[in-house]
Amino acid sequence: MKKKLEISDGNDYLKFLTREKDISDQIINHSRSMITIINRDYIYEKVNSTFCNAHKVVLDSILGRSLGDVWGHDTFQNAIKRNVDICFSGKTVQYEATFITPQSGKRHFEVVFRPLSVESGKITHLLAETFDIDDLKTTKQAVKEKEEEIRKIESNLPIGFLRCDPKGKILNANEAFLTIADCHDELSITKMNLKSFYLEKELFEIQIAQLTESHTKNFGRVYLKNCYGKEIPCRISGFLAVNGSGTPAYIDFAVEDCSRELMLENRLLQAQKLETIGSLAGGIAHDFNNILATISGYSEMLHDDLPKNSDLSEKVSRIQGAVKKAQSITNQILTFSRQVEQEKVLIDVSEVLKETIGFVKSSIPSNIVLKSRISKMNANVLADPTQLFRVFLNLMTNAIQAMEENGGILSVNIALVKREFVQHELNKDIVADEYVLLTFKDTGEGMEPYLIGRIFEPFFTTREVGRGTGLGLSVIHGIITEMEGEIVVSSKKEKGSVFNVYLPVSKSYSSVTSKKGSMKKILFITGNKYESRILSLALESAGYELIFVSDGRNFVKVMTNIRERPDMVIYMSDSKQIKPEDLVGIFRSQKILTPCILISDPNQDISDEKLLNSGIINQQLTKPVSLKEIRNAIQELLR
Amino acid sequence: MPGVLIVEDDKELREMLKMSLLRRNFTVLEAENGKAAIMHFKPLITDLVVTDLIMPEEDGLKVVIKLRELKPSIKIIAISGGGKVGPGSYLNLAKALGADAIYSKPFSINDLIAKIEQLLDNEHLN
Repeated sequence: MKKKLEISDGNDYLKFLTREKDISDQIINHSRSMITIINRDYIYEKVNSTFCNAHKVVLDSILGRSLGDVWGHDTFQNAIKRNVDICFSGKTVQYEATFITPQSGKRHFEVVFRPLSVESGKITHLLAETFDIDDLKTTKQAVKEKEEEIRKIESNLPIGFLRCDPKGKILNANEAFLTIADCHDELSITKMNLKSFYLEKELFEIQIAQLTESHTKNFGRVYLKNCYGKEIPCRISGFLAVNGSGTPAYIDFAVEDCSRELMLENRLLQAQKLETIGSLAGGIAHDFNNILATISGYSEMLHDDLPKNSDLSEKVSRIQGAVKKAQSITNQILTFSRQVEQEKVLIDVSEVLKETIGFVKSSIPSNIVLKSRISKMNANVLADPTQLFRVFLNLMTNAIQAMEENGGILSVNIALVKREFVQHELNKDIVADEYVLLTFKDTGEGMEPYLIGRIFEPFFTTREVGRGTGLGLSVIHGIITEMEGEIVVSSKKEKGSVFNVYLPVSKSYSSVTSKKGSMKKILFITGNKYESRILSLALESAGYELIFVSDGRNFVKVMTNIRERPDMVIYMSDSKQIKPEDLVGIFRSQKILTPCILISDPNQDISDEKLLNSGIINQQLTKPVSLKEIRNAIQELLR
Repeated sequence: MPGVLIVEDDKELREMLKMSLLRRNFTVLEAENGKAAIMHFKPLITDLVVTDLIMPEEDGLKVVIKLRELKPSIKIIAISGGGKVGPGSYLNLAKALGADAIYSKPFSINDLIAKIEQLLDNEHLN
């Protein structure tokens, strides 16, 4: 029960007043704000202890003195008087000010002047309250900065952030999401539902239901469709926020485009698959070579036992021919599985590419245009030029076959790219500062996406039976991988395919094997000019000195001149300068004993027979010849 | 007649080699892998060895090293159906380890026999 205060005489009243004053003084003095009361003459009539403490003054030094006196005439006139006068006109004045107090140094304060009516409704005094808002201000500033930082992160991160209502309607979206959606109008995005970007709409409903259950959920990979209908694999997480009553308030989504990651993952998977197939196929090829050696051995013995030119010996020759074909396949498989040692020399890729283009141009169908701009550059790589020729030739032949029916354009380009670019494109171990990037682009029939991942598998072919073994691209893959390079394909059905070949640029200035040839002189009777040029490029890079002749007379001159006489003759069976029978004739009539290597074309072996039976050929090699093979043959004969 | 040791794990191929050598009147010895070749090596009657390289038990490289150690004058021919150790092929490694000749399978048996005869002829001339 409240006890009512009773006043019966003046003494009581005085006691009461004293008590009231005591209480109000204590309230004023204990306030955390600085409180003063100022009269119309700008004189301090009351000052609390917080004020005195803050300014480190005693009460008496302020009380009864004017504002101008205490703060200085200028400060009073410029910063204080106007607000005080407004307050005396009856309005509450509130403003922020910075001033230095001896106790806490420079800080922010909020100052409030309230008019006080002490007598007969007139404003006679004002109440000045000053609060230290420095901490508040610092906190506010910090919050603002933090918010700004978060906003920056949100807009700069390559992760899309979305806030949606509980049904999925987009409330706002950051820049990254606009990029993923390929829609650069934030306003139109906010009219949409996130569901409309889902490839499978039902999935979105399920995810919303899951969020209602668990509030935070990582949904893993989800396919979205951007504003242009393109499918984009995204990693999506959702966070459901609830309001006080527990009902869903909004959902935040994080959407990350993972197409690059997926692409690299697929590529790694393919590489691993090829590696596995490679070791399997390599093992089989190895066993097959054993079997082929047996077949070949017995058929040779049989051939020796049978009368020459008999019907039976003809049949045995056919077996031997089949063995050669089988051997070429096992060789290709071994190249694919990188079981064949490559002889590498320092070579300018652009040179090899130029020769290959020349070779292809000579036989290109009229409905196909070959566009290339190969500028001279220092695209030096460690490679077997004959193998590189094989790679380029195969890629161009494939492109031409893809355009055979409807014609089209084959563009071939070469460029030097920096390691950072390669790293980003391939995400592989980078072995050089610079790479040569060769691009073979056709406008042919293209491939379905599911085929792209399989084209390097041996015996995989999209062509009808009988057209190619399906080993070409596998061999290419093996050769490029052996060079620590990489081949990347992109293709679109009906639009065409692009093959990008990356080869590490070698910085060593001298050829690795340059001294190996020890400048032995080789007379090279060339055949097809492009193939010959590749082979001579290879041999010269390997350290041999090559001599060329234009015709039979020239040949005789070189062979009979002691100073010029070569250590060896290499004869390409499709030579236009000297016919096989002329070669045999010259060797016999001049009694030439120089070792001779024959490089024969597997498609025209009739003329080779005469040469082989003539006894002047010490070694026969069949195209395509690798630098390794020809070097082994040379070294064997020059021992 | 000179003795030739054939070290080959593929039985058919071994038989074929044996037959072709017998036709030329060589004395033929056989081993089905490197371990057997080294264990039963008969230095007094073996003048030349034809060895496969990739085999179970001990491989052909061990045969090259060990037999060369046991009989320095022995002639060695390595044959292989492919395969690489590091950047180099088995065949080249065999050559570096002292094989006198190398052949990759499938090879011409007449070439191989000619090589064997040449190596052994040189031996006799010396």
